[in-house]
Amino acid sequence: MKMRKNKYILLSLATVLLIASSCKRQLLNPLPQTSVADLNVFSSAARIQAQVLSLYGAMKIGNFYGGRYVIYGDIKADNFINETSNLVTGSDVWAGNPTNSATAVVNLWQYAYLTINTCNLFIDGMDSIGTSVVGASLGKNYIAEAKFVRAMSYYALLQYYTLPYGNGAQKGLPLRLSGIKVSGQSNLARSPVTDVYTQIIADLNDAEAGLPASYSSAYNNTTRAHVNTAIALKTRVFLSMGRYDSVIAAANRIVSTAAPFTATQNVAFALQTDVTKVYGTATTTENVLSMPMTSTTGDNPGTQNQLGYYFGATSKNGGVGNGEYSLNAKGVIADSSWKSQTDKRRSFIFTGGGKKWLNKYTAPSPYTDYVPVIRYPEVLLSLAEAIARTTNSIDTRAVALLNAVRNRSDASTTFTPASFTTVTDLTNAILEERNIEFLGEGLRNNDLMRLQLTIPTKGSAPAKGPGDVGYIWPISAVELSLNTLCTDN
Amino acid sequence: MRKHLCFLLWLCLAVCQLHAQTKSATGTVTDEKGTPLPAVTITALTSDRKVISTTVTDINGVFKLSLSENAKTLQFTYIGLEEQFLPIGGRSSFAITMKTGSKNLSEVVVVGYGSQRKSEVTGSVASVKGAAIAETPVQSFEASLAGRSSGVQITVPSGIVNEPPVFRVRGTNSISLSSYPLVIIDGVPSFTGDYTSGNASANPLSSVNPNDIESIDIAKDAAATAIYGSRASNGVVFITTKKGKAGRAKVTYDGWAGWNKAYGIPKMLNADQYIQFKTMAVANNPSLTGASAISFKYAKNADSSNVNTNWADYVYRTGFSHSHNVNVSGGNDATTYYLSTGYTTQEGLVRKNDFKRINILANIDTRLNKAISLGGKASYSNEQNLSAGSSGSLNGEAYNTGALTRLTQVLPSILAPYNPNGSYNINGSAAGSSNITGISSLSYPNPIPIIDLSRSNNEVNHIQSNVYLQVKPLSWITLKTLYGIDYLLIDNDVFLNPVNGDGYTPNGTATATSNKNKTWLWTNTAQFDYTFGEKHNFSLLVGNEQQRRTSATWGIQRQGVSDPNYNVIQAGFTVNNPANNSKGENYLLSNFGRLNYNFDKKYFLAGTLRRDEYSALGQKAGIFYGASAGWEIAQENFWKSVKLDHVFSSFRIRGSYGKVGNINGIGDFSPYNQYYSGLYGGAATLSYALGTVGNSNLKWETSKQTDIGINFGVLNDRITGQVAYYNNNVDGLILYVNQAPSAGLPTVYYAGPPLNVGSMYNRGLELNLNATPVQNKDFTWNTGFNLTINNNKVTGLADGLPSIQTATSSLETVNLTKPGYALGYLWVIRTAGVDAGTGKRIFVNSAGQKVYYQYYAPSGQFNYSTTPDGLTKYVSPSGGTTITQAADAVMYRNPLPKYVGGWSNTFNYKGFTLDVLLTYQAGFYVYYGTNSGLHDQRFWNNATDILTDAWTDKGQTGKKYARPVFNDNVSNGSAMPMDMNIFKGDFIKLRTISLSYNLPSAIVQRVKLSSARVYVSGQNLGIISGYPGPDPEVASNGNTTSGQGVDRNTTPNARTITVGLNVGF
Repeated sequence: MKMRKNKYILLSLATVLLIASSCKRQLLNPLPQTSVADLNVFSSAARIQAQVLSLYGAMKIGNFYGGRYVIYGDIKADNFINETSNLVTGSDVWAGNPTNSATAVVNLWQYAYLTINTCNLFIDGMDSIGTSVVGASLGKNYIAEAKFVRAMSYYALLQYYTLPYGNGAQKGLPLRLSGIKVSGQSNLARSPVTDVYTQIIADLNDAEAGLPASYSSAYNNTTRAHVNTAIALKTRVFLSMGRYDSVIAAANRIVSTAAPFTATQNVAFALQTDVTKVYGTATTTENVLSMPMTSTTGDNPGTQNQLGYYFGATSKNGGVGNGEYSLNAKGVIADSSWKSQTDKRRSFIFTGGGKKWLNKYTAPSPYTDYVPVIRYPEVLLSLAEAIARTTNSIDTRAVALLNAVRNRSDASTTFTPASFTTVTDLTNAILEERNIEFLGEGLRNNDLMRLQLTIPTKGSAPAKGPGDVGYIWPISAVELSLNTLCTDN
Repeated sequence: MRKHLCFLLWLCLAVCQLHAQTKSATGTVTDEKGTPLPAVTITALTSDRKVISTTVTDINGVFKLSLSENAKTLQFTYIGLEEQFLPIGGRSSFAITMKTGSKNLSEVVVVGYGSQRKSEVTGSVASVKGAAIAETPVQSFEASLAGRSSGVQITVPSGIVNEPPVFRVRGTNSISLSSYPLVIIDGVPSFTGDYTSGNASANPLSSVNPNDIESIDIAKDAAATAIYGSRASNGVVFITTKKGKAGRAKVTYDGWAGWNKAYGIPKMLNADQYIQFKTMAVANNPSLTGASAISFKYAKNADSSNVNTNWADYVYRTGFSHSHNVNVSGGNDATTYYLSTGYTTQEGLVRKNDFKRINILANIDTRLNKAISLGGKASYSNEQNLSAGSSGSLNGEAYNTGALTRLTQVLPSILAPYNPNGSYNINGSAAGSSNITGISSLSYPNPIPIIDLSRSNNEVNHIQSNVYLQVKPLSWITLKTLYGIDYLLIDNDVFLNPVNGDGYTPNGTATATSNKNKTWLWTNTAQFDYTFGEKHNFSLLVGNEQQRRTSATWGIQRQGVSDPNYNVIQAGFTVNNPANNSKGENYLLSNFGRLNYNFDKKYFLAGTLRRDEYSALGQKAGIFYGASAGWEIAQENFWKSVKLDHVFSSFRIRGSYGKVGNINGIGDFSPYNQYYSGLYGGAATLSYALGTVGNSNLKWETSKQTDIGINFGVLNDRITGQVAYYNNNVDGLILYVNQAPSAGLPTVYYAGPPLNVGSMYNRGLELNLNATPVQNKDFTWNTGFNLTINNNKVTGLADGLPSIQTATSSLETVNLTKPGYALGYLWVIRTAGVDAGTGKRIFVNSAGQKVYYQYYAPSGQFNYSTTPDGLTKYVSPSGGTTITQAADAVMYRNPLPKYVGGWSNTFNYKGFTLDVLLTYQAGFYVYYGTNSGLHDQRFWNNATDILTDAWTDKGQTGKKYARPVFNDNVSNGSAMPMDMNIFKGDFIKLRTISLSYNLPSAIVQRVKLSSARVYVSGQNLGIISGYPGPDPEVASNGNTTSGQGVDRNTTPNARTITVGLNVGF
């Protein structure tokens, strides 16, 4: 009996010991295996490098520079006709009446700020840990890239949600400059437009000072920011601000004094001889900044965000797209001075199903054409315009810059100072050249906005003048409901 | 806690002493029919009820027990039979007949880590016998729990097979997390919900063959559930599967075959009506002239007759189902076993929507000696859930253009299903519509190629197994260790055909994903049952438990078939992408204890404590508790002195209070801000924008529950009843709180960071009555009625979060959650009928002003006008010129049933048994969103009532639908949800009616059987409801807590007839 009792005691004790030793307390703090917790994202150089690319990745999302931001720049303006009346694909943007809760209004706001916060968190993290991990030199480069992306993002928001810089508008944007990863930070009032532009310029100055002169591959030179990219963006921003002297000062650093116009320092920006070779997956010296795409899910714009999907004709009509927007017969394609026989850029216009379509973007689903964000001819034309406006004369260099762009595609047309009777003729020609050159590249709306021009009527959509409701977008309804300090336009 | 447990165990063992033995008792135990009863426990007790020795009867019902001098009483116990106490006196030989006890005394209920006599339970527990649900043609057992117990709401969401029902115990207790109760199968928590990724749903609980269930016990209040601490706030459901019974091996076969059919399918316009009606609608829209003109022609069949397609004929069918189960049960006094196997194929009412299951369950329990017993179970189930594609019924599917149910209503009856040459009538990705001029593509596919060529299947392999070792070093000490696993392994196999529908543009899409969910669980408990001085009965349980779950999913999506005949994932495709990759893990570490005390079975006290630590939380540890008390007044002398015992055989007051939690559905890595990997032009990125926002302070949702009740028995328990009041206050509800978008937090997976901010309550009253109104030699009638009255109210959300919208399939929002209202309140725009003079829809704006709407506004008129003539432009109080949901919708009706219950009746007459179960829900409203589609004035087909109920002529009053104007999708509710499509959901259903006949034993024995029974039964044969749709028992948003009461393109429910046979060998 005694033996038996002991046996049970031993058995029970063994069980208890087993229990005591079996609790695996370390399992209470598991780390994710398919993601990286924020505590560890600055722990190695490789992770920091991957974060740098994520800043561009955030900007490249289909709702932002990878698709819709660019698309809105065209469909809000006058060169396209909406074919599908689909609110999801921006029929309201086209008609000039998106509401506070419209897909376009809500999403562009959200994705731009998501990019901004990603940049802010990165800059904060680099300041506190990251730079010590990668070293001062690389750290400086990376922070400069983050500021470049942040500048791109704020600039994008200003083009749709605020009145132009020259308007003297007070209602700009909530200006967020430090990273947020907890709740309770919703409330922040809108800073004046001028303050936001000032911040953008400050970021670009820092970027220019911190960015590398170039990368080791043409691909990286087109898909990441280097010194000359920051300068090119500055010309765009200064032009939007109407600071033409600054445009000239910046542009002159990447544009030679005489034709052929190229950047003589750092990455040698230059026009390519054949304009049809700068789309698709081109990474030429003309492609200042492009958003690269691949066929892997998540690395392309995604459903209903792709330029080719919006502007391309349907397969039934011989295209690769969904026929969302056809070319407005009364838009820029009606311009007879844009010669239909000799100008290569006319080859981007394609007729199918009785309508005209833009086929700059020809890769089929999943639409892997790179999105051209900045091309060198923009810098040339911005410089030309700034010179014309500041000198208030038919300046020969301005004409030469304009001619460089026209002549490249249409050898039969050569502009000389004699081609223009007034300065206004020249500036109009420069604007028209931009309209032709960047058709389907998202610049049209911004050009109309910065000069406070009326958006002309197109199809059934009414014209929108600077004072009209719908000239700029309302503020996102979600922002207004959750940020009590933010007010609507 | 662990230290204490260890010490206690040691202490118990150390004080162990054996008693001297001097004499013995022998005897036999039989049941009321005189059959010897094996495995009856006989315990010798001292005068103060201390245990001296114990034994069990052998296979012949014979026992022999050593007794000491101080042995005074023998106790005989057997589950299901009435316990007996016999004074020993001078006797040494005994013959005992055990009786079927009156229910309250003998029944036991499972209470978590053990069982208790029902008569001693002070918490609120409902029990359902396995037999009640065994033979019903359902895929998983809980679908047949409706109406069987108070406090339990079961809503079958649609007629799609194996979709988990909406299952609520005492109301909905969460917003963002799951409100499904915790389901414990033989001691191991099961998976609940749907883990598949295609269009065929799979309920993990369908792996349990209903025929293998012995009992279902549903713990409802904190006293009963607190032993499961952090997971208990939605109630706990204990499933106990059958075990072997000692005796000769008994083999039982049970089989049934059944037919089901949809009921309440809307009647659609035929070809003649369609052309006539739509032509009139086109004429009413002057913008459709000239180049925009739309016209309809008859399509022709091969025999040149007019095409008149009833699309429902091509989508629905009469489903045939059958099921077969064989089990073997037996054993001797030391070892019992149970082996069961089942096969079932159940066809749903939508073509190609099938459920097939093969399952096997084996268990064995053996007693090595007086002190040690061990055993285990192994169960394996293979289920195939098949479907051609989306039906439109599962959560998130309502607006799928390829949804089969929806296509039966949208596609015009003038379209031919096939071309005269036998090929599919298609046009690109859409159905062919060459006989409609003016609309280039209908954008909805032909359902036939989807049914023929596509599939969205999954195969589930589910393994649930456990082993245990139990040691009783002393008769009053039970030590038990149990290790269990639950492996839910799912393969999803989806193919969208390249011919028509969603697979057309990518030229075929195949997706295969493998999803593995694994649980292991190790439980160790020590139980001490001790009686002092005859009347002080103590039972103490202490335990420790660890549960770990891991999940891993990987998959691939391939597009563009390389050969038109390819339809499997392994074939050639041109585009390859990863799909649905994820990996998760969590760990729950717990210590718990429970103390039950009663004095003389008159006064009862119980307390439970559990400490849980959970890996997915920021604040890992939490303490949960429940305390309860009961008073059996019928045992009191004063009660007897006023002769109340002549009326009440029992009368007990009980009450409980406790705090429990909910963690079901919290992401495994919620405490962290996570950066996810992405790509930038093929290069790796580490992105916060693609990531999640965490909360390092995240903790459980907590539910504080009060329960007060009375249990009584009248006329020697011929009538028994329970009445209970409960009050569950839930706070710390986890909400994913939206932050201003300008804060720039990622919202890829959640709307915002998870915060413990919300609060709500469920308060209610439960009533259960069971009675045997008639009982005589040939005829008995047993009846049970139950009612639950529940009142749900949300009392708080987060700061800066005035309300939460819950969209149906991310398109239409009808449910709004707002403090002061029930969860997911129906939120719609008010209307005031149709204007008699013009046939315009009259909206009522936020200020109560009437606004007249016309889809087509002639020059000089407005779409929205404050006058019927359309000449006065409507300007809203906030300056808008249209009616919008954001501005004008009101909190309109409650979608949560206030009254839920059932009424069951069993009539026995000689060998015949008639079971009738009625279930009901009342006091709620349903948004019949399908109705807006049925009256949409685009090319969509309409229900036939449009012919009589739409305004056509001046002066018509009381019309439901506006003047038909082609393309008008606003007036009848498609564009904005409105009140005219909300209806009372109250219903009474004849859920089950079943007639069975036990063949007389004389006949049965002649064919060498021990029993034989045949039955015929019907499900859902009748419904009484004012609801105009197919069935008010519906849930387009599935188990979504805040999205109930929506009926959007849902497949109707099935009406089923089965015939069955049950034979014992």
